[in-house]
Amino acid sequence: MEEDEIAGYVTAYLKKKGFTQTEKIFQEEFQTNKTNSSPLEPDIAKHILSFSQLESGPARFHDGYSRLRSWTHCSLDLYKHELLRVLYPVFIHCFMDLVAKGHVQEARHFFNTFREDHEMMHLRDLQKLEGVLSPTHLEEMEFAHSLRQSKFNIKICEYSYELLLQHLHSTQSTTILGIINEHINFQVTPGQPSSIVDDPEAVTLSGSSQDAANQINQKEIHWGLLEDSLEERLEKASSLLSDSEKGEGEAKEGETEENKKRPVEGGKQGASIKKVKKDKGGSATGKNTKAEVNTVSAAPRVKPELPMPIIPSEVEQSILEDLRNRVQLSSVALPSVSFYTFLNTHNGLSCSSISHDGSLVAGGFSDSSLKVWDMAKLGEQTASSLSQDENDTSQNPQMGQSGGGKRQYTLFQGHSGPVYAASFSPVGEFILSSSADSTIRLWSTTYNANLVCYKGHNYPVWDVQFSPVGHYFASSSHDRTARIWSMERIQPLRIMAGHLSDVDCVQWHANCNYIATGSSDKTVRLWDVQSGECVRVFVGHRSMILSLAMSPDGRYMASGDEDGTIMMWDLSSGRCLTPLIGHTSCVWSLAFSCEGSVLASGSADCSVKLWDVNTSTKVSRAEEKSGNASRLRSLKTLPTKSTPVYALRFSRRNLLFAGGALAKNG
Amino acid sequence: MSTVPKETIEVIAQSIGITNLSPDVAFALAPDLEYRIREIMQESIKCMRHSKRTILTADDVDSALALRNLEPIYGFTSNDPLRFKRAAGHKDLFYIDDKDVEFKDLIEAPLPKAPLDTSITSHWLAIEGVQPAIPENAPVEAPTEIRKSSEYKEDGIPVDIKLPVKHVITKELQLYFDKITELVLNKPASIPFRRALISLATDMGLHPLVPYFSRFVADEVAQNLHNLTLLFALMRLVRSILQNPHIHIELYLHQLMPPIITCVVAKRIGNRLSDNHWELRNFSVNLVASICKRFGNVYHNLQPRVTKTFLHAFLDPTKALPQHYGAIKGIAALGSRLVRLFILPNLEPYLLLLEPEMQPEKQRNETKRQEAWQVYGALLCAVGQCMHERAKIFSNLLSPPTRASSRPNGKAMIAMSSKRKASTENLMQQQQPPLKKLATDGPGGVVPMNSMSVDMQMQGSAGAFSTMMGVPNVGVSSMARQISNDNTMGREVGGQQSKVSSILAQAWKDDIDAGQLLSSVYELFGESLLSFIPKAEAGVFL
Repeated sequence: MEEDEIAGYVTAYLKKKGFTQTEKIFQEEFQTNKTNSSPLEPDIAKHILSFSQLESGPARFHDGYSRLRSWTHCSLDLYKHELLRVLYPVFIHCFMDLVAKGHVQEARHFFNTFREDHEMMHLRDLQKLEGVLSPTHLEEMEFAHSLRQSKFNIKICEYSYELLLQHLHSTQSTTILGIINEHINFQVTPGQPSSIVDDPEAVTLSGSSQDAANQINQKEIHWGLLEDSLEERLEKASSLLSDSEKGEGEAKEGETEENKKRPVEGGKQGASIKKVKKDKGGSATGKNTKAEVNTVSAAPRVKPELPMPIIPSEVEQSILEDLRNRVQLSSVALPSVSFYTFLNTHNGLSCSSISHDGSLVAGGFSDSSLKVWDMAKLGEQTASSLSQDENDTSQNPQMGQSGGGKRQYTLFQGHSGPVYAASFSPVGEFILSSSADSTIRLWSTTYNANLVCYKGHNYPVWDVQFSPVGHYFASSSHDRTARIWSMERIQPLRIMAGHLSDVDCVQWHANCNYIATGSSDKTVRLWDVQSGECVRVFVGHRSMILSLAMSPDGRYMASGDEDGTIMMWDLSSGRCLTPLIGHTSCVWSLAFSCEGSVLASGSADCSVKLWDVNTSTKVSRAEEKSGNASRLRSLKTLPTKSTPVYALRFSRRNLLFAGGALAKNG
Repeated sequence: MSTVPKETIEVIAQSIGITNLSPDVAFALAPDLEYRIREIMQESIKCMRHSKRTILTADDVDSALALRNLEPIYGFTSNDPLRFKRAAGHKDLFYIDDKDVEFKDLIEAPLPKAPLDTSITSHWLAIEGVQPAIPENAPVEAPTEIRKSSEYKEDGIPVDIKLPVKHVITKELQLYFDKITELVLNKPASIPFRRALISLATDMGLHPLVPYFSRFVADEVAQNLHNLTLLFALMRLVRSILQNPHIHIELYLHQLMPPIITCVVAKRIGNRLSDNHWELRNFSVNLVASICKRFGNVYHNLQPRVTKTFLHAFLDPTKALPQHYGAIKGIAALGSRLVRLFILPNLEPYLLLLEPEMQPEKQRNETKRQEAWQVYGALLCAVGQCMHERAKIFSNLLSPPTRASSRPNGKAMIAMSSKRKASTENLMQQQQPPLKKLATDGPGGVVPMNSMSVDMQMQGSAGAFSTMMGVPNVGVSSMARQISNDNTMGREVGGQQSKVSSILAQAWKDDIDAGQLLSSVYELFGESLLSFIPKAEAGVFL
């Protein structure tokens, strides 16, 4: 680097910026110092050089990127796949830099030249970015905004990193170097490059508060089950039963005593939730000592943070009866599937839901109506035979006389926009529906009437879900929030804000202390219901998340996206255990069997798939160390006759109910 | 730059009454327009997803506009797809073809039918993980199931229906089977039967029924040889099952073949003289041929066994003429190679046998005479086809009628053989076995060794041919040869006749000169054979 040259560049810079005074001084000083020249730091020299090059226009990006690209493709095979990861972030930032500088035409040309390279992995992102054509768009579009504000994390081995830096320095592609420095966060790992299998965590985009997600995931969560659950009580009862018949009688007495106690507590509950929560916690610990005597399932027990509603004793009895008659499912004992097909929907069915015992089926329509069928009353042999297994649990005595006499269903009208979600309360006496009119309505199946209209969201409510114990429910909306409600209040109890785009689906954790939300920003978040804080962020999906399911033991969560990928997450670590790949289209619905051994998924590709949860979690955990984490086991694919599967529900006896509307042709 | 050209902006501006839009404004608006459209589309896709659809409708776009607090676009309904038409003369300009509707027509039109109300039906998608084969389920059998049933088959085929069967057939399949068999037995000419045949040929999941069907066919054929229509129906049933790509029929071939072959070479089919049993025989022959073609390479002894059966029928003079007819047809359908191997050597004696039957003065029985003519026709057909193929293969190396004339010119022969290499590559490939062994093995031809290369090649191909036929076939072919030798010996009357018979006796060899063969066959059949030979070749020979 000749000193004169640098001086030339510096003066050019000063001239350009109009620092005439400085320039003069610089010139003078330069002349005087020429004799005792202290060589400039090479780095600084390069920076100065690069500045002059930066000015040389948008072609720099194009050239720089194409040079990096061809170099990467010619690099050593062993390190190539690692280096290839660098290309995508560089590509999109080059593009956005070009747009931000106003070289729209060049940006478009650049984009179209190289987009093919990334289409396979990032097609959706590219489609979004394609439309960005002016600096204001960059500001406006949340996706571009988040890209600009965040950094890519790329895992790369030491040698690859060195190679990359050497290349960038030797070719003096400072433009690219700048982008890499600004937007990529290298996590250099010593040793050999990682395996070629596309590790989902190799390239991650961290949110604007990059460390926040990591920090969030450091938090402790109590994924254990609720103490004193009905299941636990059943086991207690059965163990006593095995002791002696007399024991059983006592157990029952004990239960009824508890039930007597509870209403008293319930009376207090109405007042203030937080206050009562402590009371409840106290009483729960009291019972806990009793529960601990039994050797129950491995899942740890936690206290409920919400005051729990009271279950009427006859309902409890029927649930216990169901639990006793539950079929054990496993990879060798697959469930029976009963399929409810909606006919003549004229493309209007936008959601469907099945009650916990499978006897009630609700459909939400785009003409704002909600229709509920009582399958037990349909009078068909199949339905009645079905209901005999399942219906003795249904405690809703009257479905009401359906309007015209001819109609098979009960029509609920009240919404003024497409009904996007419906959810049955655990016992089946209430239905919640959410609609594009930004309201949620509570309906009674006993009285066939609208009870409450909950207003709070400002935009269409995409999803609503009753909590596993009833009484509380969660909703998610286009306004990028999820909200927790209780039936008795028309205002939400909690508002969960944090997602960067629409919150598309919501699901309760088995212990009711957490809810999970899936969003169009391709993340799933877990929120603490009590504090309203986000406690986990799950990153890994490549498209909008459409469905969520929580395993009954509370340890795992499954999420399904628009592309047909299902991911199984470990809640405590916040990591993806394994992606379950098999569906070819949107996964509309997911359900865990009651003991958590089988996951069912229903998709727009007209099939129900059954997955073995035990192997897909265990094997991957074992293989996590070896670095190969994509192992899954699809047990069975059950194709339907051109019927996309909208809803799935395992009954308490482990019968799987599925619902969907027959597509016209296909 | 933007996918929206600025002309679009100008057109839109004009349509809302702005005429003096500056190009700069249009230039600036175009990219923004594209961005807004993309934004709306993004929102409409969200609405589409939440309506659980995979096809975007006009409603979704309207909801997306509503989300942005924009007025929806009126005049579009989701029900009928919009028909865009290209404006004449403009490549990228489209408009919606809206027809004018007369008020009068609209008012007078009868009310459309009310759409059917939404309803729900329920069915079992799976019972303990297994999909029942009911109409509500997709007609795709899980592959594991098929495997299971075929595994079962290997264990033991239910030879007798009365035996306790291990696997249980679903009620639906039982009904299906009952229905099909009833159609076969009672209404073989009806349209439902034709539909049933189509269903048999295409439906999946029929595999469990195959043993029952093959058993059914075998039983019915054995009991109802007099009932021609029933036999025909049964053969059509077999054909449909053979056509079904989802059925692994090969495991049942041993059970299916006997009834089919019975239909080819049975002594008496149908109880009336008017019954056209020839047609049934032809139909069944085609079945046999297709089976041999499909499974011949998998089951090596299939074709030899079939051939043996036919040959026995053909060479037994005590058998009835319809049986001979079937046998000849059968051999001919299996390929011209077999015709050369079995029919040509026996052609002359057989014709001598047949001739009296064909002449009205010697055979008084009208029916018998007709039968004889049918057999003659079949024979002519078989030989003619065979000759036609030979002529095709050797059309480029037609040699003069006598071999002797070509012998002195050894070089020419070699050249010819290289030519042949190109045309009959498959024959050449069989030349691999060592010469010595073949020289001893080849029982028929000890040819003078003066033109080494050609002879070697001929030997090789002949030997390879017999080895290819497989072990069981050797017995048959050698037997046939013996018979033919006997015949020729007994029939050495001398002169032309004996030459013909000796040439025909050599016909099984691959290398027999086509010209010689043809001329000798021509002597037996006369002009009627000429229709099988391409004109050009015929001119050379005759």
